[in-house]
Amino acid sequence: MKPAAFEYFAPRTVEQAVDLLAQHGDQAKVLAGGQSLVPLMNMRLARPAVIVDINRVDGLEYIVAAPAVLRIGALTRQRAAERSRLVAERCPLLRDALRLVGHVQIRNRGTVAGSIAHADPAAELTAVLTALDGEVVARGPGGTRVIAASDLFVTYLTTSLDPREIITEVRFPALPPGTGWSWMEIARRHGDFALAGVGVVLALGGGVITEARIALTGVGPTPVRATSAERLLTGRAPSEGLWADAAEAVRAAVDPDGDIHASAEYRRHVAGVLVQRALCEALTRVREAA
Amino acid sequence: MGTRYVGARIARNEDPALLRGRGLFVDDVRLPGMVHAAVLRSPHARARIHGVDTRRARAVPGVLAVYTHADLGRLGAPLPKLIPHPSLIHHKTQCPLASDAVRYVGEPVALVVAESRYLAEDACDLIEVAYEPLPAVASVEEAVRPGSPLVHEDIGTNVCARYTQQTGDVDDAFARAPHRFRERFVVDRGAACPMETRGVVASWDARTGLLEVWDSTQAPIPIRNGLAAMFGLLQHNVRVVAPDVGGGFGAKIMMFYPEEVLVPWAAMRLGRPVKWIEDRRESMVAMNQEREQIHDAEIAADGDGRILGVRTVFLYDSGAYIPYGLIVPIVASTTLPGPYRVPSYRCEFAAVFTNKTTVSPYRGAGRPHGVFVMERLLDRVARELGLDRAEVRRRNLIQPDQFPYDVGLIYQDNAPLRYDSGNYPLCLERALDLIDYAAWPARKQAARSEGRYVGCGVACYVEGTGIGPYEGCRITVEPSGKVVVATGVGTQGQGHMTSLAQIAADALGVTPRDVSVHTGDTALFNWGTGTFASRAATVAGNAVALAAQAVRERARRVAATLLEAPVEEIELAGGKASVRGVPARAVSLGELAVAANPLRFAMPADWDGPGLEAVRYFTPPQGAFSNGVHACIVEVDPETGMLSFHRYVVVHDCGRVINPTILEGQIHGGVAQGLGGAFWEKLAYDEQAQPLSTTFMDYLLPTAAEVPALEVAHVETPSPLNPLGIKGAGEAGVIPVAAAVAQAIEDALEPFGAHIAEAPLSPSRLRQLIAEGRRTP
Amino acid sequence: MKLDGTNTLAAPIETVWTTLNDPEALRRCTPGLQELKEVGPDTYQATLTIGIAAVKGTYSGTLRITDKQPPRHYRIALEGSGGAGFMKGEGSVDLEPQGNGTLLRWSGDVQVGGLIAGVGQRMLGGVGKMLIGQFFKCLEQRLGSGT
Repeated sequence: MKPAAFEYFAPRTVEQAVDLLAQHGDQAKVLAGGQSLVPLMNMRLARPAVIVDINRVDGLEYIVAAPAVLRIGALTRQRAAERSRLVAERCPLLRDALRLVGHVQIRNRGTVAGSIAHADPAAELTAVLTALDGEVVARGPGGTRVIAASDLFVTYLTTSLDPREIITEVRFPALPPGTGWSWMEIARRHGDFALAGVGVVLALGGGVITEARIALTGVGPTPVRATSAERLLTGRAPSEGLWADAAEAVRAAVDPDGDIHASAEYRRHVAGVLVQRALCEALTRVREAA
Repeated sequence: MGTRYVGARIARNEDPALLRGRGLFVDDVRLPGMVHAAVLRSPHARARIHGVDTRRARAVPGVLAVYTHADLGRLGAPLPKLIPHPSLIHHKTQCPLASDAVRYVGEPVALVVAESRYLAEDACDLIEVAYEPLPAVASVEEAVRPGSPLVHEDIGTNVCARYTQQTGDVDDAFARAPHRFRERFVVDRGAACPMETRGVVASWDARTGLLEVWDSTQAPIPIRNGLAAMFGLLQHNVRVVAPDVGGGFGAKIMMFYPEEVLVPWAAMRLGRPVKWIEDRRESMVAMNQEREQIHDAEIAADGDGRILGVRTVFLYDSGAYIPYGLIVPIVASTTLPGPYRVPSYRCEFAAVFTNKTTVSPYRGAGRPHGVFVMERLLDRVARELGLDRAEVRRRNLIQPDQFPYDVGLIYQDNAPLRYDSGNYPLCLERALDLIDYAAWPARKQAARSEGRYVGCGVACYVEGTGIGPYEGCRITVEPSGKVVVATGVGTQGQGHMTSLAQIAADALGVTPRDVSVHTGDTALFNWGTGTFASRAATVAGNAVALAAQAVRERARRVAATLLEAPVEEIELAGGKASVRGVPARAVSLGELAVAANPLRFAMPADWDGPGLEAVRYFTPPQGAFSNGVHACIVEVDPETGMLSFHRYVVVHDCGRVINPTILEGQIHGGVAQGLGGAFWEKLAYDEQAQPLSTTFMDYLLPTAAEVPALEVAHVETPSPLNPLGIKGAGEAGVIPVAAAVAQAIEDALEPFGAHIAEAPLSPSRLRQLIAEGRRTP
Repeated sequence: MKLDGTNTLAAPIETVWTTLNDPEALRRCTPGLQELKEVGPDTYQATLTIGIAAVKGTYSGTLRITDKQPPRHYRIALEGSGGAGFMKGEGSVDLEPQGNGTLLRWSGDVQVGGLIAGVGQRMLGGVGKMLIGQFFKCLEQRLGSGT
């Protein structure tokens, strides 16, 4: 398991990185945490001719709380985000999801932005970004642009980023005060890819649900925003029966693949189970916050 | 002989170096001028090879050679057949490199040697093989279906052996029995997954004619003898070293894997040391696997749940070749009766070729299957007759006064299957007590009323261990007073440097730290068969004891001469020999060693040779039988099929315990592998026998987060078959796990009527079984 | 793995049939197709780079069209091998008129082996279906999609 030969560059600035990508186009791959790319290279499933290692680029490692949004620089390691006080205070849904990304060793190197750019169909962070209507900032030869989560994930391992663009920042909207949240997933072992995962955000007002956000991972080629279930919940009073209805709506909205670990029917079923349980937990948190 | 160290929980001699990263594993071997090998492996499960074009590969700068079958000459013949058996009609083994056909994904087709492994893999990419893919046989059931493709076209069948073992008149028992129950059990493929993959380094010196090989193997001596024969060298001119080995679990006991022959051969051809280290992906397709069996089993019982007879017919998947013979299915057949009185029994099996990786023993080696079948059959009896599961077992257990107990079958060592000693009822009661079985019904009910599904499982087993043919040991006391023990078994983490030192220390009156144990180097000891079948402690351990005893006697005789006292008065303790009652009249072991090797003058006639050294062999007349009981409590989430363990209890009897810490390590590791085989580890293949789980992303080893805390209790019924009274313990942890877990899950899911007759399970499968259960009354 | 799908094309059945049998059109809707050389009647040598994101492999092999029943039906068989493994598939394409356009039904059985099968089973089925679907979607776009 040794990679095929490649050319290696380690730029010091974002501009240099972008220049290199412009020069080499889809022959180049960006290396940040390397937790997905390097195994693919070692197995020779990926043979990029050029590696652009951005680990020495200055100014990309930060977590900043702007009003209503958490801005996370592209080189911020998953473990740093997981342990960040700002993340815990402003976006605990992200923190809870981060805890289930691989293992500590992986999170020590893997980056938040890298996980999002890699777009694994069972990733946690892509679903959290989708649930919260987050966005990424991308820099390429044409300049800088902002891409909303709903426009970002195209299919398995594929985002709408151009091969010559790099993500410089990921933006997660903060959870408003009084909202409840929950991240739940089913995996064969601790740290494994989720067979199905759910992120939920709930807000109540006047005894009824004023905001419901539900996003799932592991049930399709990209994260799924369960808008039909969200509509079903909005304006209604929370109850076990309502959660069950939401679960059915989610089941109808997903079309998971089966594989050697779990059948499609199993994933569809537990997606609904997780939604029910996550809504229940989110409601408890709403009540605790009150 | 004192017993100060045998039985003591002492820290291991090998740990300080290993924990500091100062061990020497095969990949640590670095020799001047060393080059690196990579193997090109078949991507097809079954194909003809019409040609191999290596021109582009050979042209890569830094590549020294690219070898195919055509280059091997005599060496291209099929590799040796180990353990022949009269019933093994088609004893097929593979050639070191495939010639005109490949029979499993991973089969070696070419060997590349280059200045680095990177370059060797680059060259592998450029080798063009003209394959003609053919339909593959992907399952044992497909293999025995008429008209299926043939794994070996020249034999006209996929069945390589049929064998039946029986005792009593089982058909008569079934005809008369008031109750007969039939089940079909399916156990699926698993892999040993040692932390260290395979690896070989070979170095040939043409001037001295010496071939040195470092091999991550469990059996260095047979490898040495085999290589010497194969290359026409004196055995004395071949040295094979199994250095520190990071786990074997059976998968590293072959003679030979193709690479174990190809790498030394390439080193001799090229005149440069050659290193080959298997990467994990290769290991997942090219290291031998095991565990696939399908049993069609029946049990006959009376109204009290007493066994009248058991019969089973099973298919055993041997993979593409069968180098290791019929050991695994024979062990399964002879383990099935277990600790129970089974008055009549018949076990028939067919060993079958499939286009999958070759099968050879993996920890348990068929015992887990025997136990799974018997324990699940007893559970069926209990359920059908409305009896308690533990009570059914109690009623059938062999009693302590029935030893030696003749089961009426022939074991894997070709000796009669005769249990030497044990107290099976005591072990069962201990386990039931520890898991608080008496309170179980109430606890289960309480959980149910909270909407939780918990279950308890109890499984018993007997494990044949410590078989022959023999092992040997040479013990030498050096002038420094240090004791050197050299033996032929290899060590892959079992702690031999400590347990064998404890045995020697007790006999010679020194501390285990003063004993330096050397295993696995044919230059230091060259008679032995290897570490397998839970036999090293029993067989090598007893050889150590015999040799230590002989050295002890010699030391006393020399001391008697030096101290001018009768031999009967000489005692050994604290590294010294002294006259009983007169501690001032003493001489150190080191001084004795010097005195025993005089440079001048005559030696006393009764000294029988120089030095304090002895070589002894132990040849067990038959195996020694360990036993145990596992009990566990699990909780199942019926909505998700997820499993959690509340408790896991092991009661274990391996006779006299040498080192409880080492023993518990063996048990913990075995249970972890058993849990893998019960719920996580499954080697998936598609319908064309393509392996689908070749990384740890998909082949799921349970981690520290999944394996529960284990509670281990010991019972000691010494074996009468060897002076130390010990029995083997290497495989025990894994043997009954799948059975105990299956029973516990079935107990938890009783309201759904889910029935478990397979391993491994998964959350997805449990959901399916729950859904199926609801449909049956 | 068994895959299938349906597409609606806004072109008459004869036009769809011609396009499906035109190597130029095939090339344009298969971005990784580096070579498509006719070596015999309805038999082509092909080199295809296929994959998703960074995971790409180049496969060389043969493509054969059989059982041609213009303009409604044909079968396709392909096999190719490369560094990442090999693939082998066969399938059928069925056309029927639907209003002013054509309904296209495709189905196939694809076997993937070697490295990519042993590592990528989690996504292989989904990605396979998606890639084939992309091809027919491209055709649909070239011919205009109907209602």
